[in-house]
Amino acid sequence: MIKVRIPTPLRPLTNGLGEVETDATSITAMIDTLNSAHPGIKDRLCDETGELRRFVNIYVNEEDIRFLMGKETSLKHGDEVSIVPAIAGG
Amino acid sequence: MTTSLQIPQAILDDMVAHARALDPYECCGLLAGRQGTVTQLYRIKNIVALEGVEKLSSFDPAKAAHLERLSPAERAEIAFVMDMADFSAAKKDIRNKGLDLQVVYHSHPHDPARPSVTDIKIATDYEEIWPKINLPIPAYLLVSLMDKSKPEIRCYWIKDGTVAATPIITTG
Repeated sequence: MIKVRIPTPLRPLTNGLGEVETDATSITAMIDTLNSAHPGIKDRLCDETGELRRFVNIYVNEEDIRFLMGKETSLKHGDEVSIVPAIAGG
Repeated sequence: MTTSLQIPQAILDDMVAHARALDPYECCGLLAGRQGTVTQLYRIKNIVALEGVEKLSSFDPAKAAHLERLSPAERAEIAFVMDMADFSAAKKDIRNKGLDLQVVYHSHPHDPARPSVTDIKIATDYEEIWPKINLPIPAYLLVSLMDKSKPEIRCYWIKDGTVAATPIITTG
């Protein structure tokens, strides 16, 4: 299984869970799987063209998917995925 | 965690120039270096005006309500959200140069150089994220332009919701 860390702003969509598991084989599949279980997540992460929004990063084992294969980055058993919201403030 | 930070005058000047260039909007960026000594500045775009940004940021309810009442452009006067594509490029450069993240900075065009309630909340939320993306917990630096002729720069550690000022030692 693959662990996916859910950031605080998305936890209302995962019934408060900070971590979920998936057996998806790519980031695209992971987002679709997450969205099936927790509707609304995909819209938070991706724009209307399906691209990752500029205020979110997804890391696979500490590497930003923008420097891997983007949403086509493959996943394997034991990988750890972190969804990271933008650094922000007021 | 280092107790004080050494920052070259040229980098302090660059941050103030960044804050002034975006005034009345907030600027944001990163400082990198080694063991409390800053050697590099990265300007990061403030994308708080983008649609949907508030749904993925940990803004406190008061700030979120305030942002909702403003036009997208006006939002950048009271908040910042880092462009994470810029952030990742900076993170990669920091790693390639063998440096570490030291500081997250932003400006307060209308307010003092103190972390706001929002700054403290989001910094506290982020404490658990830094180690997961292989970065040390940074200090937070504020540039205030309340007095346009005399910008004020102050730096803080934010931990578990508490704020501790840390001195900045200016170097050549």
